[in-house]
Amino acid sequence: MSRTDAVTRILFEAFPTAEVRLFYALGYTAIGIFCWGVYVQIRKYRRGTALALEGSLWSRAGDMVGKVLSHRTVNRRDHAAGGAHRLIFYGFVLLFLGTATITLQYDILEPLFGIRFWQGQFYLIFSLVLDIAGIALLAGLLYMMYRRGWMKLPKLDYARTDRALGDPDFLRPEYRREDWAFLWTLVIIGCTGFLLEAARLVWLHAQPQAWDTRWWSPVGAAVAEALEAVGLTAHGGGVLRLSLWWFHGLLALTFIALIPFTKVKHIFTSAASLMVRDPKAAQRLTRIPATQQTPGVAKITDFTWKQLLNLDACTKCGRCHEACPARAVGAPLSPRDVILSLREFANAALESGSLPPEAELGVHGKAPGQVAMETLWSCRTCMACVEICPVAVEHVPIIVQMRRKLVEDGAMDPLLTKTLQTIHKTGNSFGESKRKRGSWSKALPFKVKDARKEPVDLLWFVGDYASFDPRNQKVTQTFATLLHEAGVDFGILYDGESNAGNDVRRVGEEGLYEVLAESNIASLAGATFKSIVTTDPHSYNTILNEYPDFGGKYPIQHYTSLLKQLFTDGKLKVTRPLTLKTTFHDPCHLGRFNKGYEAPRDVLKLLGCELIDMKRCRDNSFCCGAGGGRIWIPDPVGAEKPAQNRMREAAAIPGLEVYVVSCPKDLTMFEDALKTTGNEGKFVVKELIELVREAVSAPQTLAVPA
Amino acid sequence: MKILIAVKQVAALDEDFEIREDGRDVEEEFLIRDLNEWDDYSLEEAVKIKEASSEPVEVVVMSVAPEEADEVLRKCLAKGADRAIRIWDDGLEGSDPIAIARVLAAAAKVEAPYMLFAGVQSSDQTFASTGIATAAFLGWPHAAVVSSLDYSPGAKSAVFRRELEGGLLQEVEIQCPAVLTIQLGINTPRYASLRSIKQAAAKPVEVRTFTDLNLSAGDVGESGSHSRIRRMYIPDKGQAQLIEGDAAAKARRLAEIIREFKGDAA
Repeated sequence: MSRTDAVTRILFEAFPTAEVRLFYALGYTAIGIFCWGVYVQIRKYRRGTALALEGSLWSRAGDMVGKVLSHRTVNRRDHAAGGAHRLIFYGFVLLFLGTATITLQYDILEPLFGIRFWQGQFYLIFSLVLDIAGIALLAGLLYMMYRRGWMKLPKLDYARTDRALGDPDFLRPEYRREDWAFLWTLVIIGCTGFLLEAARLVWLHAQPQAWDTRWWSPVGAAVAEALEAVGLTAHGGGVLRLSLWWFHGLLALTFIALIPFTKVKHIFTSAASLMVRDPKAAQRLTRIPATQQTPGVAKITDFTWKQLLNLDACTKCGRCHEACPARAVGAPLSPRDVILSLREFANAALESGSLPPEAELGVHGKAPGQVAMETLWSCRTCMACVEICPVAVEHVPIIVQMRRKLVEDGAMDPLLTKTLQTIHKTGNSFGESKRKRGSWSKALPFKVKDARKEPVDLLWFVGDYASFDPRNQKVTQTFATLLHEAGVDFGILYDGESNAGNDVRRVGEEGLYEVLAESNIASLAGATFKSIVTTDPHSYNTILNEYPDFGGKYPIQHYTSLLKQLFTDGKLKVTRPLTLKTTFHDPCHLGRFNKGYEAPRDVLKLLGCELIDMKRCRDNSFCCGAGGGRIWIPDPVGAEKPAQNRMREAAAIPGLEVYVVSCPKDLTMFEDALKTTGNEGKFVVKELIELVREAVSAPQTLAVPA
Repeated sequence: MKILIAVKQVAALDEDFEIREDGRDVEEEFLIRDLNEWDDYSLEEAVKIKEASSEPVEVVVMSVAPEEADEVLRKCLAKGADRAIRIWDDGLEGSDPIAIARVLAAAAKVEAPYMLFAGVQSSDQTFASTGIATAAFLGWPHAAVVSSLDYSPGAKSAVFRRELEGGLLQEVEIQCPAVLTIQLGINTPRYASLRSIKQAAAKPVEVRTFTDLNLSAGDVGESGSHSRIRRMYIPDKGQAQLIEGDAAAKARRLAEIIREFKGDAA
């Protein structure tokens, strides 16, 4: 035996054969329990409905691996937690790979082929790397303990917004206990690992190949020195090593066995969830399959397997809880709790050998695990939760699926019922005659073309609010004037246009959405145009992302990018630069949904405005509260509205002059909130279009070249 | 057990409507049609009774109307009606509420329900007589403007409440079968999702003619009616004028106007 060969760790050194056999028996048992648990979980997901994934599995896997390795999603909006999790993740992965390497040699390559590699230089580097991994793991875990024990972060408070004190599932202390048990178990496994390493060194002090290379496992060596310093003998080290070996081993095996039954399973479920993620989850809701008898979700088994997997992927990190505008104003909704509630329900109902009777599978209601109607109707479908979730939980589609069932049962606010009936009858939410849809154009000194009667370059899809709401009509007329002055050949559909249906679909009235989408697509088919522009981000989203499923594929842009283009092409010129101090509100459907962050900001800069972004901007923009049909549902009296919450945020910007919006609903919501928060007179709410109008003079005032 | 409900497709005016050439109605294209609101409540009441009953109950809606009314009948099917009957024949054109009631009564004789509901009135014509006249033709007990109802299908009598002037409630017991005209607010009509309406489109609407109901041409249409609409028109608008100025000027102007009306203009 050469010197190099001797530098290694002899597995089960000095173990009686019986003990080795016992360890293997326990090891196989743990793996058996683990496999059983995995089977139970997969069986649970398979009790959901079928779903075919789009795209190749390889690109999905690649995307997932990229996100997991980079920790990009875990790091967002919480770098401390992201960093700590990164330490835990990499520490854990390296320690796992280390154990797997030993197994590879000891149980496979050596007995079968006589190959040995875990020795010499490789072994020493291996020891060093694993010591560093152990330190990383412990450091990450300790920070997580600090977060839970001392920082008292609101997002880690599991008390529910949709339950009251006294409800059995209000505080959920079991979640807290599980968190601590998880952290402590790993900390103890890590610490005993180092102690064990040290005890072995003390025990083998006399063997130069072990003792002389001890600093390759620096933590173990340091602890060993310390143990010797307090008088541990080689014999004592041997005894300590044996007992720690068993303690550490049994704890690790228990941990492995319990993975599928505890939050530890997120190792697998979160990764799997990232892999099956739908990049257009909230932008493009899914149609009701022709085979489905009742729309939406009534029972836990009506969810797709992917949604059931989503439920298990949640790590309770609380980022959706923090981002949710409904939660922020005290509405009985936290996206996190919708997911956790349904997860508790799924675990109770779907993990046993046989399914409970159908009557016990209903997910609507107020019993533990069920989701209350008020919770579902509180959602603005603003996508803040879906967007920030580090593990690709898709809350909004789940909520809309559940709403579809509520709509079918008529379980909704009477005003919403009325609005849906109105939209069905008149094609708009204002209950106005279809004929009046284009009436705003009568006040203009020029004729707005009817795109159904003559071909146009640009078809303008106006939308309900911009067509009928008196305040928004002014903006609409201004935009028409700007297009006219810029020499754009444009037209509208007049009474051929109906509500685009974006919000109707998000309410969960899929049948009405189909009617609206089909009607608009038919009108568009009867018009000749090159591309579409819309002043309404909601219409923009559904035409861009959802109409293709109904056969309507069009090039479409939001007006902000069109204006930017007109400036770039020199068709619009800033003649009176505005030196206003502004902030810009990203509309959910333009920003978060469709990543249109830059165009409106670029236009503001072109106008000469100073732009100061609010803290919650771009992907973290805060919903005005009107989305998902909430504009048709009265907000509770006395409670803060999301728009008011937002106004207070804007009011904190020193010297703010204009709060700029680029969505008709935003204009309505924020002008109201400006008054109700007492900020009237301090700054104003304006449409970007109005600012453009102020900065761009009409052609007759431009100098005419001689 | 059967509950029969008389329903009507009513018309609401669109913006900028025009009167028909014969001057007796509004031009068709300016009308937006929908289920009469009162009928929505009477249907809901019947469906609620059906849902609460342990015995099988059949809810049947009927309407005297041309084919275009199928749309509202399907809406009723979507909301929980089991069958829909539409009675029409060109000879029914021009029927007044009494003639329509005669047809409804004839249909009710064939259907033999335990109870017949109708709305208090229709929102477009507001005669408030069809339901009650139907009871008269059937010779059944009747009550109008029912605002709450306690009835189990098959019972010999029903108890209901009516709202009277001055916040008074009247509780009445009535022998069945009876005709009740239902008031708004008796319940909360359910929402018929577009999906359920589309599904109801597959269900048949049974079509009858008045001859199927053993009525003769003289019983219906203009010849079977005791009233006819002579004309429909928009009355001349009254004149209103906002008096501007301070209090003294307003008072002076007001006094002037009063003097003008009295005919003793200064």
